[in-house]
Amino acid sequence: MSMDWVVLIPLLPALAFTVLAPLSRAARARLVPVAVAAVLGSLGLSIAAFLAVWPGGHDAVWQGSFTIAHIGDRAIPLGLALEPMSAIMLLVVTVVGACVQVYSLGYMHREDRIGWYYAVLSLFTAAMLALVLSDNFLGLFMAWEVMGLCSYLLIGFWHEQEAPRLASIKAFLTTKVGDLGFMLALAVVYAEVGAFDFATVLHHDWAAGTATLVALLMLFGAMGKSAQFPLHVWLPDAMAGPTPASALIHAATMVAAGVFLVVRAFPIFEVSGIALTITLWVGLLTALLAGLLATVQHDIKKVLAYSTISQLGFMFIALGAGGSTAALYHLVTHAYFKSLLFLGAGVIIHAAHTQDMREMGGLAKKLPVTSLAFASGSLALAGIVPFSGFWSKDEILTVLLHEHQYAAFAIALLAAFITAFYVARLWFRVFTAPTQQKELHEGHRSMLAPMVALAVITAVIGFFGPTLGDFLGHEIPWPALGTAAISTVAALGGIALGWYVYGRRTSVVNTQAIKQRFPHAYGVLANKYYFDLTYGYFVVGGYTALTRALATFDARVVDGVVNGAAAAWRSLSAAGWTFDGRVVDGAVNGAASAVKAAGDKVRTLQTGSVRGYQTLVAGAVVLLVIWILVKGA
Amino acid sequence: MTVGLPHVLTLAALLFGIGLYGALSRKNAVHVMMSLELMANAVNLNLVGFSRFVTPEAMTGQFFAVFSMVVSAAEIGLGLALVIAIYRRKRSVELDAVQELKG
Amino acid sequence: MSTTLPAVAFYLLAFAALYGAISMMSTRNVVHATVWLLEVMLATAGLYLVLDAEFLALVQVLVYAGAVAVLTLFTVMLTLRRREDAVRPFPTAWGSLAIAALFTGAMLLAIRGFCPVGVEMPAIVPGIEAFGRELFTTWMVPFEVASLVLLVALVGAVWWTGGDDR
Repeated sequence: MSMDWVVLIPLLPALAFTVLAPLSRAARARLVPVAVAAVLGSLGLSIAAFLAVWPGGHDAVWQGSFTIAHIGDRAIPLGLALEPMSAIMLLVVTVVGACVQVYSLGYMHREDRIGWYYAVLSLFTAAMLALVLSDNFLGLFMAWEVMGLCSYLLIGFWHEQEAPRLASIKAFLTTKVGDLGFMLALAVVYAEVGAFDFATVLHHDWAAGTATLVALLMLFGAMGKSAQFPLHVWLPDAMAGPTPASALIHAATMVAAGVFLVVRAFPIFEVSGIALTITLWVGLLTALLAGLLATVQHDIKKVLAYSTISQLGFMFIALGAGGSTAALYHLVTHAYFKSLLFLGAGVIIHAAHTQDMREMGGLAKKLPVTSLAFASGSLALAGIVPFSGFWSKDEILTVLLHEHQYAAFAIALLAAFITAFYVARLWFRVFTAPTQQKELHEGHRSMLAPMVALAVITAVIGFFGPTLGDFLGHEIPWPALGTAAISTVAALGGIALGWYVYGRRTSVVNTQAIKQRFPHAYGVLANKYYFDLTYGYFVVGGYTALTRALATFDARVVDGVVNGAAAAWRSLSAAGWTFDGRVVDGAVNGAASAVKAAGDKVRTLQTGSVRGYQTLVAGAVVLLVIWILVKGA
Repeated sequence: MTVGLPHVLTLAALLFGIGLYGALSRKNAVHVMMSLELMANAVNLNLVGFSRFVTPEAMTGQFFAVFSMVVSAAEIGLGLALVIAIYRRKRSVELDAVQELKG
Repeated sequence: MSTTLPAVAFYLLAFAALYGAISMMSTRNVVHATVWLLEVMLATAGLYLVLDAEFLALVQVLVYAGAVAVLTLFTVMLTLRRREDAVRPFPTAWGSLAIAALFTGAMLLAIRGFCPVGVEMPAIVPGIEAFGRELFTTWMVPFEVASLVLLVALVGAVWWTGGDDR
């Protein structure tokens, strides 16, 4: 049987976008079910695709390509391929995408631009699906850029307000800095190999130096997209967008695209070696520093955003240690539990009408379903057995031990401890602290159903790790007892500390006292390590200074030359003018008075209306054309 | 199903007609400029079509299209500069506001 | 490559171009009209690809979609005093419509009557390499003149829009 229906998986949401985008606001809002139906259709087809690939292995089961252009005698094809890794990613994207779209029906129903929201969400889903299916770097890059655009549009969805507008521009520019690296990498790849498709590029005989260059450039692109230090500054601000969009784009899928890119290009990284070490340390730094930042945030979405950055750091750690399968495993589990947490945060924000955790408390009693689902996600994030995050985080730790990266192991363990601490802080503050608000309502059914589905997936998916490994053609072993024990102790320790500081009813530790005892440390964290200030001062300020210097150069040097030339020309023309006035004018004036007499008669034709002249000219041309046609026939 | 020269020419003629209508009917100078661009675009499409079907090897039409693009880029640059200059004087971009040539 | 696929692409792009052009004429908002013009330009770039003119497709995207659309948007912004001014009522101009329809009809008749070659696309595919070689040999002088035209246009545009002191 021909498998060409695989094309429909990204095509259905793309069609939904083309149907919705050109319509008016009201018509779009009525056609929202089209977008939901499209993503559900993609979900069904993705499940079919997964079953077609089962039981997995290495090879692609379907491939199709289309030549978009010829440059010289080289053809540039764009193709899609269905193989185990893309099948897994298809399921992740469509499951989370479908959950988010169903959830948004409830979350966004009062918004009058809901149609536009769904149109962009569909375009994003289509781009992400095309990205995971693409069989070449060029197609991947195109989908990558479309996703960047959608992210920009969704962050700035409430563009009437100042903050989302600035955040969207910041996100776009910051990721664009990374994209530049990716684009240069593509140029180097094409110059070296002469093709873009994975099979040719990855099996190319890479020299170590070129491989390092390509790998580092690609890593830079991935760091921008996946918000790794030092290009992480856009993701916390991106939380200004609608919460379900954050769940899909800035937690589950788009930010994971950077990790996906590195997994795809992994053979090049392996040739390089140095690039792997750098990836490892970028990941370690990110996991640790972003985790620390998450402990001082008060905005519930920002806590989750820093947590996302930190978890993406874990994936980079796995990549740097050589465990691309472990990274992919953590990507999958993280996509499910982090989107669950974001959807839960959406219900909480809806109910409490604030994002500040200090104004929340006691929500467990009022929002029972949400709190249960949120618990599942939190435990997974903290890494408590048997929730999904435990298994994949353990896999990463196992890889680190196996590669004898003991320093990295210690730092990762510390990051895991911090993760558990801020999860506990979030949980106890929001759900068990004394109630501060009276009117609290559980979310609508359309919002709860997707969360329950994601919570169930999060609770059980960990048991399928070895199956997933077989499917991908790599090994994912059950965690060794020793590693599991160490990581569980770290996680429980973090939760216990969180409980000690924030959870006890009787004597709450005064965090103000801690802040006062370590004012410098707290200041550094509260100012997010001064990254925004540094960028604002050096990058933006430097650019402004440069333009000012150029303007000065313009005024002094260029203008001087131009003015000199102008003065020379002026004196020349003055001489000409004298000649003109004496000799030429005499002749001309005579002719002119004759013409003026004639013109006085004709001037009544001139109405001065530009549009009148236009019509006159066009009419004359049309008559001329018709005359030529008649004469020619 | 195939594509022939008449298909390309028909499309170009339709685009040109729509552009012509816009250029004649619009009062807003910016809108008129945009309609002119649409017409230039239709002409370029014609040139490329002829080039593909009549002189595929010499690509004469393509070169004409390149130069036509240069000219229309220059035209839109000057035209929009003119619109801004008119706006400075008249505080309006309505073509009906420009009546200086009235005799 | 089969002949069906380019034909399907051609019809889709032709539809997109016509739809965009009609929307551009029927919207009341100048900003929306600009976006529709951009859509027509991009569809035309796609048509150039179907007609094997890769270089023109790239130039089309760069010059029209990139420069012209942005320039138009800037002009719209510079000449709008209030946001509401973007939306203008437009009565259908029957006279203009008649002239345009007459012209289009005459053109269509001409295409039917005088179309010089058959339906088949010639097998020789023009290449971008040959294009580059031709451009810098046969068309060298016009190419340089074109750059002069652009320079003059640039200076003229700066002159017209320059500061108020002139």
